[in-house]
Amino acid sequence: MGNNVTKDVQFKRYLKLELLPTPWCPGCGNGIVLKTICQAFYEINFPLQGTVVISGIGCAGRSAGFFNLDSVHTTHGRAVPVAEGIKYANEKLNVVVVSGDGDLMGIGGNHLLHAIRRNTNITVICFANEIYGMTGGQVSPITPKGVKTLTTPEGNPDNPIDIQHLFVGNKSFFARTSAYHLSHMKKCIIAALQFNGFSFVEARTMCIVNYGRRLGYKNSNAMLNHYKETYKINDNAEELAPNEIGILKGNFQADEQLYQ
Amino acid sequence: MSKQLLQGNQAIALAAEVAGMAFFSGYPITPASEIINDLVNRKQIKVLQMEDEISSIATVIGASLAGLKAMTATSGPGFSLMQENIGLAHMMEVPLVIVNVQRVGPSTGMPTLPAQGDIIQCIHGSHGDYFPIVFYPNSVAELYTHTITAFNAAEESLSPVILLSDAFISHLYETITPQSDFPIKNRERPPLGSGSRHFTGLSHDNSLPKTSDADNYRKLITRLREKQLITAQQYNYYEYRECRNETDTLLISYGALSRIAYYFKNEFSLFRPILMFPILGDLKRIALQYKKIIVMEMNTGQYAGEIERILHREVTLLPVLGGRISLEEIKNALSGVVTK
Repeated sequence: MGNNVTKDVQFKRYLKLELLPTPWCPGCGNGIVLKTICQAFYEINFPLQGTVVISGIGCAGRSAGFFNLDSVHTTHGRAVPVAEGIKYANEKLNVVVVSGDGDLMGIGGNHLLHAIRRNTNITVICFANEIYGMTGGQVSPITPKGVKTLTTPEGNPDNPIDIQHLFVGNKSFFARTSAYHLSHMKKCIIAALQFNGFSFVEARTMCIVNYGRRLGYKNSNAMLNHYKETYKINDNAEELAPNEIGILKGNFQADEQLYQ
Repeated sequence: MSKQLLQGNQAIALAAEVAGMAFFSGYPITPASEIINDLVNRKQIKVLQMEDEISSIATVIGASLAGLKAMTATSGPGFSLMQENIGLAHMMEVPLVIVNVQRVGPSTGMPTLPAQGDIIQCIHGSHGDYFPIVFYPNSVAELYTHTITAFNAAEESLSPVILLSDAFISHLYETITPQSDFPIKNRERPPLGSGSRHFTGLSHDNSLPKTSDADNYRKLITRLREKQLITAQQYNYYEYRECRNETDTLLISYGALSRIAYYFKNEFSLFRPILMFPILGDLKRIALQYKKIIVMEMNTGQYAGEIERILHREVTLLPVLGGRISLEEIKNALSGVVTK
């Protein structure tokens, strides 16, 4: 190790490389998010000892076990309150939650609502793939209206949650990013990790096998291209349009110290 | 400490502090609310009021993994909500204490009246096989002592320990002299943030998930079970009063109802488990000396069923339902079953 090792590889110290490959399908975007989290950890020099990763259940829930630090794989939807317990018990720890949109916004939605209200100083990174992938492809809280899934064969009749609105008027941090926009994702995660309060990164990522495939995407690259063509970066936004990714302007920006 | 007039729930709060509890998380519910109401005034303890009982036990699990002794308190409806995470705490070997102050169920039931309807839920409420340690005191003094016992057993077994109470003894005021010279067990396992361990609800071996290895699962469950039995042996609390007069009947009762059982000490021998689960050999050894066994409880026969399973013979049920504990009614019911 030492100076000869480039930055490109050094993030790997945050991973239990011996456990690879991950259990995820070929073409899954979760690995991109996992890697970007580790790169963000590396860039701000998060200590291996003193950082804890907590996950819920689902495909993204399995990512916690790959971190080369203490990690907790909890029950479905309960990663956020377990993480809050850890943070309130030892405020010195860096506490990071990694989980999916179904876990965090569906079964765990009530906890998310209250964690935002409490502004607990933890970071949540949501692997937002718009689908319950592990169970075969059922509708999720952020599946767009009209989209066909296993449980919405006529098309999703409901509007998806636009989770950013929970953060408006609160002191918490919200960012949306995508698996195509790697440097933006890293920037969002770093800003979230450095934020002093509750921070949430909605990382749009692709599930080709149990979602995109049924929507007519040829492969996972086609889904990435869709992100590329759809999303415009709008950091410091009052509100993010459906075709925008970025960091939401919040009350926190009035206090420069919070960014440290 | 000097003599104090304490409510049962206050005794639990005081004892938790003596046991070294540093974290409490809960959701208001009758008849357990006095515990959180009391604890917020103890400055050494971090107290959270959460959005529900699911997040209450989740935060307690997190705080315990982070190194603090932690507890939650609830009643039946909240205890039901906690069940999934109780299984998680068993699987991840997280020490914590859950106080369940029982009220009449099912559902919303009779919220301010005592019951003992959560006995089976303690051991089978979560899915899969797990082997909890459960205590059930019957006085304010015992609530104090065995809150400390529960914390020690939790630390010893690295598992969630259940302290049962009921609306009667938790709302009872008695004078007690709280002792503080108990042996207190502390954690050996290092807290979160000091290694690269993976705590998971999946079947696992030494931090590694093993989701399709039957041999590993069998080994894991055997180890968890043995660990619970070994710990329970050290806290094998019960009360046995042999009848002065000739009798062939053993009256088994626990919690609030066991207080009225003392009234019949000259007619029957009395047995009162304090360690409710796991049921250890002493109950069987004592019960085998009697021809007739009556189990009096505030449910339709939950503990009686467990005793029958262990003794391989029928016992007589004496259910006291709806939160009404009347000596007259119990006398009549007892004379009914005895003459049968």
